[in-house]
Amino acid sequence: MLLDAYRITSEPYYQPQGAEISTFTAAYHERLPVMLKGPTGCGKTRFVEHMAWRLGKPLITVAAHEDMTAADLAGRYLLEPVGTIWHDGPLTQAVRHGAICYLDEIVEARQDTTVVIHPLTDARRILPLEKHNEIVPAHADFQLTISYNPGYQSAVKDLKESTKQRFVAIDFGYPQPATESAIIIRESGADSDLAAVLVAIAQRSRNLQGHGLDEGASTRMLIHTGRMVRAGLPLETAVQSAIVLPITDNPDIRAALSDAIAACLP
Amino acid sequence: MSAAKPPVAFRGLSEPEGDTRRLHLLMRQRDNLWPLFVNTWDTLSRHFDAAECEAWAGAVLALANVNAGPSCLIAYWEACSNAASTSEIAPLLGAAQATTEICRQAGAQAASASLKALGPARRFLGHGAALSRWWRAMETLARQAPESVAPTAGSMGDILAPGTVQDFENFIAAGLRAGAGDHKRRLAFFSLQDELARRTIARNPADICFPDVEAGLKAFTTALWGKAPRLRRMAGGGNDKPQRRSSIAGPLIRLPEVYRGVQGDAGRALFRAAAAHAQAHLVLGHARFTIGTLKPLQVALVNLIEDARVETLAMRGLPGLRRLWAPYHIAAPGGVATAPVLLARLARALFDPTCNDDDGFVAKGRALFAAALPRIEDSAISREIGMLLGNDLGQMRVQFNAKTYVVEPMYRDDGLGLWDFGDNAPPSDEVLELFVDAMRIDRQENADSDRQQGDPDTAEPEPGRGRPAAPDERGTIIARYPEWDRTHGVERPDWTVVREVAAPPADARAVDEALDRSSALRHRVQQLVRGVRIGRAVRLKRQHDGYDLDVDAMLDAGIALRSGQEPDPRVFRSSKPVHRDLSALLLIDTSESTRDRLPSGATILDVERLAVALLSEAMDQLGDPFGLLAFASDGRDDVRITTVKHFDEPYDRDCRARLAGLVSGLSTRLGTALRHAGHVMATTTTSRKLLIVLTDGEPSDIDVADPLDLVEDARRAAINLHMNGIDAYGVVLGNAGAAAAARIFGRGNTMLVHQINDLPTRLSELYFRLARR
Ligand SMILES: Nc1ncnc2c1ncn2[C@@H]1O[C@H](COP(=O)(O)OP(=O)(O)OP(=O)(O)O)[C@@H](O)[C@H]1O
Ligand SMILES: [Mg+2]
Repeated sequence: MLLDAYRITSEPYYQPQGAEISTFTAAYHERLPVMLKGPTGCGKTRFVEHMAWRLGKPLITVAAHEDMTAADLAGRYLLEPVGTIWHDGPLTQAVRHGAICYLDEIVEARQDTTVVIHPLTDARRILPLEKHNEIVPAHADFQLTISYNPGYQSAVKDLKESTKQRFVAIDFGYPQPATESAIIIRESGADSDLAAVLVAIAQRSRNLQGHGLDEGASTRMLIHTGRMVRAGLPLETAVQSAIVLPITDNPDIRAALSDAIAACLP
Repeated sequence: MSAAKPPVAFRGLSEPEGDTRRLHLLMRQRDNLWPLFVNTWDTLSRHFDAAECEAWAGAVLALANVNAGPSCLIAYWEACSNAASTSEIAPLLGAAQATTEICRQAGAQAASASLKALGPARRFLGHGAALSRWWRAMETLARQAPESVAPTAGSMGDILAPGTVQDFENFIAAGLRAGAGDHKRRLAFFSLQDELARRTIARNPADICFPDVEAGLKAFTTALWGKAPRLRRMAGGGNDKPQRRSSIAGPLIRLPEVYRGVQGDAGRALFRAAAAHAQAHLVLGHARFTIGTLKPLQVALVNLIEDARVETLAMRGLPGLRRLWAPYHIAAPGGVATAPVLLARLARALFDPTCNDDDGFVAKGRALFAAALPRIEDSAISREIGMLLGNDLGQMRVQFNAKTYVVEPMYRDDGLGLWDFGDNAPPSDEVLELFVDAMRIDRQENADSDRQQGDPDTAEPEPGRGRPAAPDERGTIIARYPEWDRTHGVERPDWTVVREVAAPPADARAVDEALDRSSALRHRVQQLVRGVRIGRAVRLKRQHDGYDLDVDAMLDAGIALRSGQEPDPRVFRSSKPVHRDLSALLLIDTSESTRDRLPSGATILDVERLAVALLSEAMDQLGDPFGLLAFASDGRDDVRITTVKHFDEPYDRDCRARLAGLVSGLSTRLGTALRHAGHVMATTTTSRKLLIVLTDGEPSDIDVADPLDLVEDARRAAINLHMNGIDAYGVVLGNAGAAAAARIFGRGNTMLVHQINDLPTRLSELYFRLARR
């Protein structure tokens, strides 16, 4: 098969936070596009991988960036000795051959880029390739998922209303402490005491969101900390290097956060 | 100088010519002064020779010539008599000269106040060069801030406490700078009501003062429980009193200005311990006990148990807090078992389960507390146990003096905030004594903050028509502007008078806390800031030069080549950094209608304030130069401008204090305000200049019958701004001013905000949108 390289063969570990698996399954069943909302490092990417595996579909991931153009998504002509040849972009591949296409951090892309997905995400389910003079009807298996961190939205970079309203949304907050502990234990090999302390530490930083921090420590950061401890670093040092230092450059906030973190340690 | 010299007594009129004689003649006629003068003269003539006395007489005459008045002369004489045995004549003459100058500049009262301050000045600085520098500084003060001489002199002891004359000179310079041109602010500074002033004279550079740690404490405490504390500095507390404890008042946490003698990191740690303890009360069990018939000792014990209860709860979630509080629990068994000692030991025993104390009372307290642990969430246990223990201790007949009792350990609060003094159940005098210090400060500060917040109901006289205003109260005239006469189609030159009026002093925290309460909004604006973060580059496609190839352009070029056409050589991509070159001025309408309250209870002005604070924070972070002006008017000869922030001033606490101090009142003469804004913006050098006007209605003023006149005038002013390269935008609150604003600014330059609560978001978004163009 064409997209075999994009198939996920073994189960990616995913710890559900709520009803996201059934929501996504239903949306996929109806081939409705899905928007994953939530702060960084809370499992959005991992979730899509898990769902692709669960549904047995290939997954094509595209990380959006500010230079991304419609051609980067849809495709372009390339010059070959024999002449110009059309090359499908990643989105077109997914549409043509039936994959889940995951557009990560869609707001990063320019607005003209996002419009490309409009005809794909309404009843038409087509991808017009103007340059190639072709209209690609979506494969029955095709589905579009995007991620969107509301924290990053701005007037400059916000999804258009007409884009937003095409999607079914799933909200990823920070997991419940018990869930988050389980994730940390599993992903970093930390023991349950360490995981509980890490979750408590994360809560201190999340309390500072909007009071000096843009976002609190992510699950990803906690996993990193756990791994640093497993690699032999003392907890305090690991917390400093994997949480406090990366998260802020403001010395006052650093000091306050370090002190609050110290309050979590037995 | 030596007591051995023969007296130089010239009391007879036949004595030598010169100042000595003249002075004697003059004083002879003053019955009330003569005896004192004679005494002084006697004293001085025992210590100084004739020539020195002659010089002294000349100095006194000079002082009398500037109308120093009897009390000033007497003060001088006393100062001289006191110093005669220890001082040379020169410093005494210097004092007279300086006093003369001060009297000339600031009046007799200021002069005598300065002389009274001479005592402390000599104590700290001696009689030498330092003292003459002190006089020079006082003269400078008299010249530049005459109103502030007397208050400065009045607190000389405090002001000189740091010790060196250099410190004093710095203090004077700092006050003159901080209150530039504004005598109310200067007065606040020199009478030590201003925070900066108090910090400037803070006892010891190693002392950690509340303002130094405030921001960090706030972040720390917020991080602990996710609730931003409302911290306040506690006024008062002289050196003689025992160290004040922190105090909870409603939702506020008051912390001492300084924990005396606890310096450096230890000071910082103590502030953290205190803030965390107080916030634990507020977050984990804000008990409000009724005082009933409790005795002071029982009250103290209920406080103690409640402290232990909230700390136990706090340490369950955050065990590391134990390390924060433990160092202060130092009460050890043994010694005299007075009540305060037993209380401190009990506090320790409840805090630290490993500590050994076999005192019966302490053991009983421990047992009761342990037995109540299953109900630890319930603050009622504190009252129950406290009452029991209070009884016990009462029966042991140990000494307890409510007047002198202070809570131990030092980081704990005074307990006042835990009690509900219901109106119908006033506490006994004895109990009051326990809290008397705390309550006095409480009242005083409430009075302060009422005044500062400019409580709309009391602070301001009925605004509006014909309010008489004393000339000085109306502020300094800073400009006159023409106004358009619609009926005659002419411009009336110099028609309106603009006065700079200072905002009443207020606390910047009011603004900071409004921001804290709006953390979602703030977060959103932060994201806007991030979205345009300076240094971010714009990518340019199809360039002649660049760092890599533009694939699409390359392909087009390749296709063109193959089809025999001329290819476009611009096949590169490059980037250029975004250079922000924009300045903005916000013009805030504070007219009477902004006093209206919204359903939330906030006034329109409050919302304006929040919106401005939010945007200012963003502009500050972006480094865009900006200014903030407020305006209101009371007829054409009283258009008031309050500068909240100058363009070239950093956006600091002072700016936010001025923002907090804005009060509603009077009318809206928009055209004049626009002209003045244009004048202010003329000094900025950026290529784009934005003026954003926040207003809640159409222009109006008491001396203009037809508002259309003012609308037309404002329209012309706006056009003029445009011609001067300033983009003016109107942000209109509510529906009333929509038509007028569209007429004044043009429809495209008007933003209507129907829901006033949306203003903060809408204003910031407007700015970011405009800033992008
Ligand atoms: N619910 C979860 N189940 C399993 N692992 C999780 C879960 N949530 C987070 N993780 C772990 O956190 C890491 C980060 O998650 P992921 O990469 O999916 O974040 P993200 O939401 O996509 O972040 P970003 O927005 O920064 O891309 C994962 O590698 C995984 O180890
Ligand atoms: Mg991700």
